[in-house]
Amino acid sequence: MSYSYAPLLFFAAIGAAFAVFSVVGAGALAGPKRYNRAKLEAYECGIQPTPQARGGGRIPIKYYLTAMLFIIFDIESVFLYPFAVAFDKMGLFALVEMVLFIITVFVAYAYVWRRGGLEWD
Amino acid sequence: MTLLAAPAFQAPNLAYGRLSPLLIIFGVALVGVVVEAFAPRELRYQIQSLLALAGLVVAFISDVLVASSSPFSSSAGTGAFGGIEAQGAIAVDGPAMFVWGILLVMTLVSVLLVAERRLEGGLTAFAGQASALPGTEAEREASARGIEHTEVFPLVMFAVGGMMLFASANDFLTMFVGLEVFSLPLYLLCGLARRRRLISQEAAMKYFLLGAFSSAIFVYGIAMVYGFAGSFTFADVDNAISSRVGADGLLLLGMGLMGVGLLFKVSAAPFHSWTPDVYQGAPTAITAFMSACTKLAAFAALLRVFYVALGGARWDWQPVVWIVAIITMAVGSVIAITQTDIKRLLAYSTIAHTGFLLTAFAGAYQGTIVLTNQVSSLQAVLFYLVAYGFSSIGAFAVVTMVRDSSGEATHLSRWAGLGKESPVVAGAMALFLLSFAGIPLTSGFTSKWAVFTAAWEGGAWPLVIVAVVMSLVAAFFYIRIIVLMFFSDPVGEGPTVVLPSMLTSAVVTVGAAVTILLGVVPQPVLELARHAGEFVR
Amino acid sequence: MSPTPFLVLSALLFSIGAIGVLVRRNAIVVFMCIELMLNAGNLAFVSFARQVGNLDGQVAAFFVMVVAAAEVVVGLAIIVTIYRTRRSASVDDASLLKY
Repeated sequence: MSYSYAPLLFFAAIGAAFAVFSVVGAGALAGPKRYNRAKLEAYECGIQPTPQARGGGRIPIKYYLTAMLFIIFDIESVFLYPFAVAFDKMGLFALVEMVLFIITVFVAYAYVWRRGGLEWD
Repeated sequence: MTLLAAPAFQAPNLAYGRLSPLLIIFGVALVGVVVEAFAPRELRYQIQSLLALAGLVVAFISDVLVASSSPFSSSAGTGAFGGIEAQGAIAVDGPAMFVWGILLVMTLVSVLLVAERRLEGGLTAFAGQASALPGTEAEREASARGIEHTEVFPLVMFAVGGMMLFASANDFLTMFVGLEVFSLPLYLLCGLARRRRLISQEAAMKYFLLGAFSSAIFVYGIAMVYGFAGSFTFADVDNAISSRVGADGLLLLGMGLMGVGLLFKVSAAPFHSWTPDVYQGAPTAITAFMSACTKLAAFAALLRVFYVALGGARWDWQPVVWIVAIITMAVGSVIAITQTDIKRLLAYSTIAHTGFLLTAFAGAYQGTIVLTNQVSSLQAVLFYLVAYGFSSIGAFAVVTMVRDSSGEATHLSRWAGLGKESPVVAGAMALFLLSFAGIPLTSGFTSKWAVFTAAWEGGAWPLVIVAVVMSLVAAFFYIRIIVLMFFSDPVGEGPTVVLPSMLTSAVVTVGAAVTILLGVVPQPVLELARHAGEFVR
Repeated sequence: MSPTPFLVLSALLFSIGAIGVLVRRNAIVVFMCIELMLNAGNLAFVSFARQVGNLDGQVAAFFVMVVAAAEVVVGLAIIVTIYRTRRSASVDDASLLKY
């Protein structure tokens, strides 16, 4: 009975190891090591804290772009949930359909990437 | 609280061959996005325009092949042929294949207009960089460097794919998805004009807010009908109505709300208020595309919903359609008289035409199955939209050619004396206007005749009388423009007709040819529409 | 459990959204009201799915959500563009096109 929970434990272990590695190990191994005053500030993740956002408290337009791209790719994943629940019952057909769907989403992704939608500046 | 048991899954049997026109269009649109991502900037215009045109031609050929190989369905006695594909989601029947073919041809003509570059001095009529603020250095630099948004081609392809899906949807969910797939690209296309960008952006915002509002109402209507019938497919809704199982209140509410959503798309009064603003603000090539293709797809969907799914409740919706038809004809014909902008005037003209089409819709004449010279309401509406679509694209193509230093000269006063400047262009415009007015020997006359006959046979004769009176009122302002073009003296330096490239000339020629041909020998197309038969159930 | 309370709630949400579209002046707020109407539709779909006992309504809710997201993206793009041009997102200020 407990045997059937083994894969779950296995995945949890892999996930935990990945999380520990990417937080602790990866940065130390691969990240650039430059220190400046802003990084030692209390919060704001290394960005100079300013009393107000630029432009009189308005949020820069760049955030809207990020938000829009996030929404569209986020919601596409909604179709993966019904698929994930029943993919074993639906067989090859559903797999092929899902691959086609993901290719379609990737076409949009490729467009955004090539047109600089993922660059901050 | 038990979970609903999912039925055993069966892989749907998709008839890829029969759905090939749709699949080709969506495939080409996707390839267009890939081209946009990876092709070098200098080549994009050529690749995109050729890709779009080739895709439309191939899709049209496959549509003809599908239509010529479709057997009559089991219900041949009803005069319908073709079948319902994709697990009941899409009806590939005679009217659907007819609408697909016409949509593809009219889109092909519109794409020629979209691809026109000579009128703007080597660039398309779409904003070089939509994100640059109007009147800034960034905008001038973009246009000096010859940057242009070739995304318009994939957007048009997505729009026409959505229209095809919308016109052939056989359940409400597919219909809603089709509605949005063609609306969203159109909202964007409306805001992409190179000249007068403030107006263009304003048109896009108005179209978007009102369009989204109407589709939200449409969704709620679908929810109500689903609550009534317990299913989305049209046949099930029809069964539920004829067996009177559900709650009548839900049906009436759902029917009303869905009607609002669909009547918005065909721009029937009182849901027409977006039409003049959007038609005036949008780039003229897109206005031409919308006036021909959106209207055809939306009418096909409107008729399919109300005849196939809600046909059993005809006594409930027919009186409302009567009233809407009268208001629409009156609003379109009367307000058009006061217009001073040619694009706005053509927008009110399109509202009036919607009213004329609604008379046949209200008549709901089934036709006779025996081959006679009668056409049913559906066939008359389809024929009318073919005739109107080509005249309308031609008229907007002429609008793109009459220009002054600031772009298109759309104010009517600038059109005075156009006949002296360019008799050919003014003559073509006069032909289109006469067709809109319904003068004999133009397509406008034969199509009005077909629609009014169907309405009369269906018992909507008071509507026909109103329609004839309104046609006379409408004829007044069409004739007024013709008089203005040929018998008035130019004001100031007068209008100039810029010589376009082959593309726009071809569009005007095709528009004029179809307008005359359908006026003189309407039989082939009328026969084709009659051969398309009725909706499959 | 009867779905009626959920349907009443959905009708209320739909009405609030529709009234909001008609009376509010900021394009973003108008747009949020439209989203509220779509979500009212979703609630109705799911409630009816429970009432009639099939899954169609739940599937419809998925599709409406995705379409609403696509609409958000297109709508935000248009509204942000017009805001940058005019420094205002009021529906009343956009009035070059009339009569």
